[in-house]
Amino acid sequence: MAEPLLVNPDRQFIQDVLRNGAEDVKKCYQCATCTSACPLSTEEYGFPRKQMLLAQWGLKDQLLEDPSPWLCFYCGDCSKRCPRKANPGETMMALRRYLTSQYDWTGLSRLMYRSAFWELGILAVVAGVIVALFTLPHNFGFGLLDRSGPAALSTVMLDRFAPVGIVDWGDKILALLLGFLLLSNAARMFLKLTRGRNIPAHLYINEFHRLVVQGLTQKRWNACASNETVKNWLRHVFLVSGYATMFILVVLFLPWFQVENSSIHWTSFLGYYATAVLLATTAWILFDRIRKNTEMHRFSHFSDWLFPILLFLAAFTGILLHILRVLNQPMPTYVIYVVHLAIVVPMLVVEVPFGKWGHLLYRPLAIYVAAVRSKARELAAQTEGVAVASEAVASS
Amino acid sequence: MDKKLGAYICGGCSIAESIDVDALVQIARTEYKVPVCRTHPFLCGPEGLATIRGDLANHAVDALVLAACSPRAKTDAFVFDPSVVLERVNLREQVVWSHKQRDEDTQMLAEDALRMSLAKVGKVEPLEPAPGEISTTVLIVGGGLTGLTAAAEAAEAGYDAVLVEKEERLGGHLADVRRVPPVRAPFTAARSSDLPQRIERVTENPNVNVFTSTNIVRTQGQPGMFDVTLQTGDERSTHRVGAIVAATGWKPYDTAKLGYLGYGLSPNVVTNLEFEKIAAAERWTRPSDGKPLSRVLFIQCAGSRDPNHLPYCSTICCTEALKQVQYLHESCPETEVYVVYRDMVTPGLYERYYRTVQDHPAAFFVKGDVSQVRRDSTGDVRVTLDHTLFGETAELVVDLVVLATGMVPNSTDGQVLNLPQEASSAQAASQVAEAEKKNGTSGAHDATGILNLAYRQGLELPLLRDGFPDSNFVCFPYETLRTGIYAAGAARAPMDAASAEEDARGAVMKAIQCIEFARRGQAVHPRAGDMSYPSFFLQRCTQCKRCTVECPFGALDEDEKGTPKLNPNRCRRCGICMGACPERIISFKNYSVEIIASIIKAVEVPEEDEEKPRILLFMCENDAYPALDAAGLARLQYDPAVRVIPVRCLGSVNVVWIADALSRGIDGVMLLGCKHGDDYQCHFAKGSELATRRLENVKETLSRLQLEPERIEVGQVAMEDYTKLPAMIDGFMARIREIGPNPYKGF
Ligand code: SF4
Ligand code: SF4
Ligand code: SF4
Ligand code: SF4
Repeated sequence: MAEPLLVNPDRQFIQDVLRNGAEDVKKCYQCATCTSACPLSTEEYGFPRKQMLLAQWGLKDQLLEDPSPWLCFYCGDCSKRCPRKANPGETMMALRRYLTSQYDWTGLSRLMYRSAFWELGILAVVAGVIVALFTLPHNFGFGLLDRSGPAALSTVMLDRFAPVGIVDWGDKILALLLGFLLLSNAARMFLKLTRGRNIPAHLYINEFHRLVVQGLTQKRWNACASNETVKNWLRHVFLVSGYATMFILVVLFLPWFQVENSSIHWTSFLGYYATAVLLATTAWILFDRIRKNTEMHRFSHFSDWLFPILLFLAAFTGILLHILRVLNQPMPTYVIYVVHLAIVVPMLVVEVPFGKWGHLLYRPLAIYVAAVRSKARELAAQTEGVAVASEAVASS
Repeated sequence: MDKKLGAYICGGCSIAESIDVDALVQIARTEYKVPVCRTHPFLCGPEGLATIRGDLANHAVDALVLAACSPRAKTDAFVFDPSVVLERVNLREQVVWSHKQRDEDTQMLAEDALRMSLAKVGKVEPLEPAPGEISTTVLIVGGGLTGLTAAAEAAEAGYDAVLVEKEERLGGHLADVRRVPPVRAPFTAARSSDLPQRIERVTENPNVNVFTSTNIVRTQGQPGMFDVTLQTGDERSTHRVGAIVAATGWKPYDTAKLGYLGYGLSPNVVTNLEFEKIAAAERWTRPSDGKPLSRVLFIQCAGSRDPNHLPYCSTICCTEALKQVQYLHESCPETEVYVVYRDMVTPGLYERYYRTVQDHPAAFFVKGDVSQVRRDSTGDVRVTLDHTLFGETAELVVDLVVLATGMVPNSTDGQVLNLPQEASSAQAASQVAEAEKKNGTSGAHDATGILNLAYRQGLELPLLRDGFPDSNFVCFPYETLRTGIYAAGAARAPMDAASAEEDARGAVMKAIQCIEFARRGQAVHPRAGDMSYPSFFLQRCTQCKRCTVECPFGALDEDEKGTPKLNPNRCRRCGICMGACPERIISFKNYSVEIIASIIKAVEVPEEDEEKPRILLFMCENDAYPALDAAGLARLQYDPAVRVIPVRCLGSVNVVWIADALSRGIDGVMLLGCKHGDDYQCHFAKGSELATRRLENVKETLSRLQLEPERIEVGQVAMEDYTKLPAMIDGFMARIREIGPNPYKGF
């Protein structure tokens, strides 16, 4: 028999989870109404009841090895039914925030989740760096503009301000850096979820499709029975499509996307789509959060506000930039260009590896590992069954 | 004295449309020679009642047979002087509403019903209350919270109270606790028990006579006339009281049986009562070595809710644990407090208290079963938990374990003495001596006699389910199997302080009720107000002692030879003794072997070739008979071959009636009574069970007489079963038809 679990509450952990938004976790009295209500919970992953208890008792190690928080899509059915108003859905959310900060090896994430001050501070620093990049060097940004003569002041000539080649390079470096950070965090998550579990390698391959499919569609979400689910899922799909369009345009097609003068290019139409989607969905999300009318948006952690606000501002300054450029307003175009980047870059730097956007990788990864773990367990049970049976045969 | 009978037949409520009322009048006039016989379309109306009253006033009649609705209906209209013998024929519910209109069989049923009542009323005699000088003092046994409340309530209601407490001080367990759980909004913090004020309320009341350090050495007599002998030190005093409230409280479950939870393993494993002392002394350290407490574990249900220990939930230990957890939160907020429970039982608004305590950062709750408790060399206690909600076996290492030991009623103390034994008045002296020995001269109460009843059936309250004396907790709380003695508080059922207070009030109400009924010579529930009581034709008594043994309420004592001696106020008038007596010498003025025999005789039994079988239904008046009324009310139909005889209790059915019926050619007999068993649905506790047992013997006799034992059946019905009754009756009819006619027909 396995060693009993030595229960040793980690009080700091409890504090952290509470601070991450699980303020009501202590109200739970383990009736499991939530688990019965949850459309995604399974016998093997009986969330969110069990996570409530683990969080109450500060059993951090158990939670770090648990993919359940990522299997929840926050439909809020559990919180609606909870007789103690313990908000299990919000606890799952808080656990995701907490886990995100634990996967991050730089420690920045922890600081950010713990205080709004740190999160805003880091955003401000990165924004400052961007502004500095455009103001301090002689041969880039306003420095370059000064030197390239009056033509660029009377008509939009973006190459005289932010040469697309340089920006494109910066772009790619940034993408690589963020990709590296995100992947390394995901690798840490993967290790935590699989360590010490004797999972046969072929299972990882057999189940790999889940990672891809879930990553692209998050279609598991639709298993939620809630009325709002379809709406939320569609909204999320749109948001992701807008975001992905923009991402591809910027990272892969910048030379075509960053149009030199006031002309309209084919990329503009993709940009319109992305902008419209982003503006609409983020505004909608913010509206819901302000009205608190859906379970999912009843509680808003500071970071929940920041993300749609930033995204909205990014899209807004993006389209503003486009309009100013098309209207051939050189100076306003340049200024807004800097403002736009001073929003987009910090947003990406902070949110992708350290913040909320990590879930775009963590969620599919958790679904994948959960499936692998189930299969491994089934397999172990089978072999054990066979062993027991053959033993029985041998002894008879 | 011959009665002047008056028969009144109502035509209302569709009676006149359904049966031939004039034929009934003919039967009364010709067969029974009833001098006054009237019909009225609406007997319960003012005009109908005026007719009856007029006849009574003119002395034209002095005994009434009212053929109308069920005797359970219109009881506010048909009220007459108690000296008037009143008999009601149930034409409405059990004849016209439950059978075909204008049908030969229905008509025969109505006619028989009238005949049976007319036969009965001729034999019934008017009732007179049992005489006696009644004391209105209430004796309260036990000076804990329940006893204190009961004494104060009785005195404030105008009844003198005598309060007896075996300890030196009043207050019981309440005196040992620092605080009690909250009972008022916002239910967040434990409160003071207000014990001094509660004691004052009693001691300041001139109508309460308080005896501390006192035992009861003997309780003799009956409701209204109990003589209770108290012993305080060397002094003895006798008090006459009218009723008794047994508020003897509880004691914790025997710790010797808690080894499985580590009790005795280490000084660091204590009970909740011991922890209360630790808290009172503010000793927040480990008993073994004085190390400050950093982790404390509360183990719930220590011995409770366990088939090997106490089968029931002790009700208070979860809330008590919450209170004690709160002590720790207040005095050492850093100490981690773990609670392992089976279910947290926090009745009512204690739920809020649970929430409050649970919310503390140092409070940890989990469901699980303790499978092992070990002590390690450092003094830590290691507790292994199985079936936890963590989903795996878990281990906790703690400084102190507090066991939530449950409640055991103190009434069990008397259990050893409770075996039926001969306790005649001649033995009284030796009984006192015996009680004295057990109680010791010091006055200490060493877990033996409490009431020391001078009753033939034993010294203490009989214990029923789980060792509690409550005799019908479903319908009649506080009742015990000893009339006039009411159990209250934790002696009755596990309960918290707030409920014990309520309980005290309830039990005092019952005691007062009992005294008032005794004053009027009337029975207490379930035949509240009944003035009949059994009388014994002792010349023919063979001293077989069946009555004295089988009376569920210990109403009968015995003399040296074993002759029964009735204590009328203890008697509930169930008639079980009458059913038991093989000599048939026990009878009530309005209910006797002879009366029922004449009712049976009044049933017309058609000849075999008429193919009209007859079955007799003896129906308990408490549930079965009302259920049959309810079936009629719902217009449910059943076979018209039945003839119903209401009985006080199935236990009162004397087997001679069955013999009478069968020898008259009646084809089958069915007995319908309350459910028996642990839920005490039988209003007379043991009646229906006894009847079932007696019938087994009768069936054997039947086989010897070449009669099919299947002609007799016993059934159990609760009130809510009324919809099933017609099917039960028809089923029995079908079986009887299959067996065929009774061969004794026409003999
Ligand atoms: S979170 Fe709510 S619903 Fe779920 S187990 Fe706890 S109290 Fe019950
Ligand atoms: S929010 Fe929805 S998906 Fe998440 S645990 Fe609750 S019910 Fe399940
Ligand atoms: S009150 Fe609680 S601890 Fe006591 S027996 Fe009931 S469930 Fe168990
Ligand atoms: S009538 Fe009932 S209570 Fe009274 S003496 Fe007989 S058996 Fe006992």
